[in-house]
Amino acid sequence: MRSISRRHFLRSTALTTGLVAAGLRATPARGQAGKPYAGARIKMSQVTHAYGDGLVARLPEFEQQTGIKVEIDQMSFPVLNQREDLELASGSGAYDVMQMIFIRSGRWIGAGWAEPLNPFIDNPQLTDKATLDVADFVPGAMAPFRRGETIYALPWLSDSTVVGYRTDLFEKAGYAKFPETFEALEEAAKKIQTPQTAGFVTQDNLHWIFPNWLLSYGGSFFANPPGDLTPTFDTPEALKAAELFTTMLAKYSPPGGIKLDTSVAQAIMQQGKAACYLDGMGNTQHIIDTSKTTLADRVAFTQTPRGPKGHFPQLAVHGYFINKASKNKNAAWEFIKWAVSKDVMLWSALNKGHLACTRASVLGNPEVRHKFTWRGSDLASLHLAVMKRAGEGYMAYRTVPQFPPVGDRVIIAMTAIASGQTSAAAGMKALQKDAEAILEKAGVKINRRS
Amino acid sequence: MSMVTVTVGLIFLVLCPVLFMVQMSLRTGLEAFRMPPTFPFTPTLQNYSALLEDKFVRSLVNSVVTSTSTTALALLLGVPAAYAFSRGRVRATGLLSLWTLATRMAPPIAFGIPFFLLYKDLGLIDTRLGLVVIYLTFNLSLVIWMMRAFFDGVPRSLEEAAYIDGAGVTRAFLSIALPLSAPGLATTAIFTFLLSWNDFFYSLLLTRSAAVTAPVAIVNFMNYESWEWGKVASAATVIMLPVVALSIVVRKYLVRGLTAGAVRG
Repeated sequence: MRSISRRHFLRSTALTTGLVAAGLRATPARGQAGKPYAGARIKMSQVTHAYGDGLVARLPEFEQQTGIKVEIDQMSFPVLNQREDLELASGSGAYDVMQMIFIRSGRWIGAGWAEPLNPFIDNPQLTDKATLDVADFVPGAMAPFRRGETIYALPWLSDSTVVGYRTDLFEKAGYAKFPETFEALEEAAKKIQTPQTAGFVTQDNLHWIFPNWLLSYGGSFFANPPGDLTPTFDTPEALKAAELFTTMLAKYSPPGGIKLDTSVAQAIMQQGKAACYLDGMGNTQHIIDTSKTTLADRVAFTQTPRGPKGHFPQLAVHGYFINKASKNKNAAWEFIKWAVSKDVMLWSALNKGHLACTRASVLGNPEVRHKFTWRGSDLASLHLAVMKRAGEGYMAYRTVPQFPPVGDRVIIAMTAIASGQTSAAAGMKALQKDAEAILEKAGVKINRRS
Repeated sequence: MSMVTVTVGLIFLVLCPVLFMVQMSLRTGLEAFRMPPTFPFTPTLQNYSALLEDKFVRSLVNSVVTSTSTTALALLLGVPAAYAFSRGRVRATGLLSLWTLATRMAPPIAFGIPFFLLYKDLGLIDTRLGLVVIYLTFNLSLVIWMMRAFFDGVPRSLEEAAYIDGAGVTRAFLSIALPLSAPGLATTAIFTFLLSWNDFFYSLLLTRSAAVTAPVAIVNFMNYESWEWGKVASAATVIMLPVVALSIVVRKYLVRGLTAGAVRG
């Protein structure tokens, strides 16, 4: 065999490397008639969700229309949180379209990681404004992604807190309809509670559930978000709300009631082990999934109770945005327009059970209203009402950049109080102190109260 | 209470979570959380067939490829190194072997971000090669330190006798030290495989979709609105199977390896 000289080896290697590199860099011919981004490949990240499944199912249609190849990467919510944060912070540009996570929107938009969408929306060559119809998105769902006039994401999911409850159990306890105040709910739970059936159940993301009580009793997370982020967990209103909320968890929830993930909380309702379930609409609607329960015909839905200061249902919104580091921004915009279009959202509502929609036209659609009316409860209208209510601005506390660590600390406080490790007064005082420390560490100027 | 009753009770206690998981994987969604659980029940394989239609199969292949490659490479590189540390008479041996533990001197999270940034620049994110390299960094030290202890237990005189008969270092290593350390090799291989197979953190951090391994894929059954417990249980059962099978096959060596050096005299 002929021996290979060092020079020959190096030359061959260089040539091969060059050819491979050239091959890798060569992009397919772009732009066909009517398909200006044909050949582009984009990648998208989002939480594992029926809406994402719907997009995957209809993707061939989009790819055929535009010539854009899309890879949709769906992952669990904890994984999505970690991965998106890391990808954005490192400026990797690996994902062109990403899910704007509600409670992280403040940080991501503030850091400049999201591409403003106005230049795309306002460019007639890129967008038919009448077809996109931004005004059709319910204002409460758009609010977290707007900074003044600038839009950073378009919403596809809005989860509103509602209550699913067993009409038979409440009727048996003497309630013809669901209690309208949190104090009345506590009384009802006390009457219903038996060793076999809990009066109340909710999921363990307590910084999402507790604010239903907190705001209704006149409490708040921060003094005046986003301007004044001084924590306000040490007020009498916050203390009262914490006492009532943790009593519901400690006394009237099933065993382990302070640490039930959504699917276990749903399963408890599906098995008839609890009388009512307070959570986001997307989660709550599963308690009438007839493949998992035989009790669906005894369940109805209603709005969350109110407190002395009013009714403050919570709203979590998720949208799609263009990663600032994306190299295919126009193709990414084509995809977002399609993914949140009236057609796709309506199809998703009717075929994938996606009730947590963000477009008024979809929620007002007669077919959707009919599909999501259950034993007299018009879920679409209920959801729309919460979105409109939340659009009044009280959800601003949730999109400040420092919310995630403060929210985590709220969960610790509620867990400690409900499990009897500390009194409500001491727990809230410690929460106030720690929340102040978190904000000060983040460089936020606050008026220290502890 | 007899010894047999206690033993059976303890075995049941230890296996309880596994049994619970397996029985859950064989139930329908309606039955999965029924309390108290109904026995007997009609088992169904619907959760397993659902796995086959999912991306989970690809992640399982990724797990097999990365764990097997890591184990093979770690043994290939680590065992000779361990032998050298055991038999070498170099002054820096102690220091060098200590530094092989560098990647284990801090929790994985401490190395996570530097590795991510490095991998991003090297284009190794979301590749099986990237995972194998990262698993090697912490498995090599395990192989070196475990195998070194096993080689230390093999009398040098046997190799010295071989040297007198004309064998070289390689021959003495391959024909004498290595066969005598076979139980240790099996134990080390299993631990190395397990560490890679069960890794969650680096797979979560350094993959996106193409190279995702099974432990991370399981988490993705936790949908935003509800968790697919049937799939979680069936996927966990599938993940457990190769490890159980491997442990059964080499259990003889495993016991000997784990007890080697326990009694000296």
